[in-house]
Amino acid sequence: MSTSRTTLTIADVHVGDELPLLVIDMTATVVVAGAIATRDFMPVHHDRSYANAQGSPEIFMNILSDTAYCSRFVTDWAGPEAMVRKLAIRLGAPAFANSVLTYTGAVTQTSVVDGEGIVEISVRAVNDLGEHASGTVTIGLPVR
Amino acid sequence: MSEPSFQDRLDALVGTEMRSGGPAVAPDPVNQPMIRHWAAAFEDDNPVYTDVEFAEASRFGSIVAPPLMLQTWTMGTPMITGIKERGGAPQPSDDRGPLTVFDEAGFIGTLASNSEFEINRYLRLGEVVSATTVIESISNEKTTRIGRGHFVTWATTYTVDGGELVGTQRFRILKFIPGSAV
Repeated sequence: MSTSRTTLTIADVHVGDELPLLVIDMTATVVVAGAIATRDFMPVHHDRSYANAQGSPEIFMNILSDTAYCSRFVTDWAGPEAMVRKLAIRLGAPAFANSVLTYTGAVTQTSVVDGEGIVEISVRAVNDLGEHASGTVTIGLPVR
Repeated sequence: MSEPSFQDRLDALVGTEMRSGGPAVAPDPVNQPMIRHWAAAFEDDNPVYTDVEFAEASRFGSIVAPPLMLQTWTMGTPMITGIKERGGAPQPSDDRGPLTVFDEAGFIGTLASNSEFEINRYLRLGEVVSATTVIESISNEKTTRIGRGHFVTWATTYTVDGGELVGTQRFRILKFIPGSAV
């Protein structure tokens, strides 16, 4: 799925709405591309022998990539003029290279504040090890 | 006078800035090449990041940086040689910052656990971001899946030219002893 060119309005969104899944085939290339694009050169995100020495079987995704994918997951659904206002995640199991990461999300709250539609979405990313990340994203949408 | 204990040294860190030399200033202003690189890496084709015509007609009025790039602008430019030996620290330095206290006590591992952003507004091309980071809290020693360690939480305020606050972030890492998992 890619970002739609149209943006949802608050009237389009209801508590309980589920977002379309985002599935990331977490190859080593994906891990390294994300780490370098966020200027994170920690060797655990690009050097497998270093990761092994730290007790990890593989390189793994950095947290700046996690927050990047969470924002993309939400704006792919809500549209390009949705404004990300808050994003909070906590990490659980690592996202190692050569795994598949699946994002799910659902609307938990909607309101209108100062002429802007505010939508709170709970987000979860899971892989074969269990829950990799969970959190909340709050976006602003047009009211019409 | 006796040497301060490890706990005394941890207590003294709370409220201190992560950098002794003032805010971290982005080496480059917000710019289209870095945005395009980021958008390609995450396959995020939101047109307000790269499509000038679309962005100008949008609520933002111009190209804007992806909001979650906020932390990226002020990441240190790395010296690649020796980065492995420095555990990922971008620059060799005598002053490795307050977290050296942990490394000296064997807590050499670092793992990020939480990241929370509040975004006041999106950044536009040409803006220069500064980040000021203060240690907010340090947990007691915890036993975790990957070993014994302390959670360290810091708060960063991001400003642009003129001091306007554009966003804040709370970030938590675990400083741990590799191989100490039970």
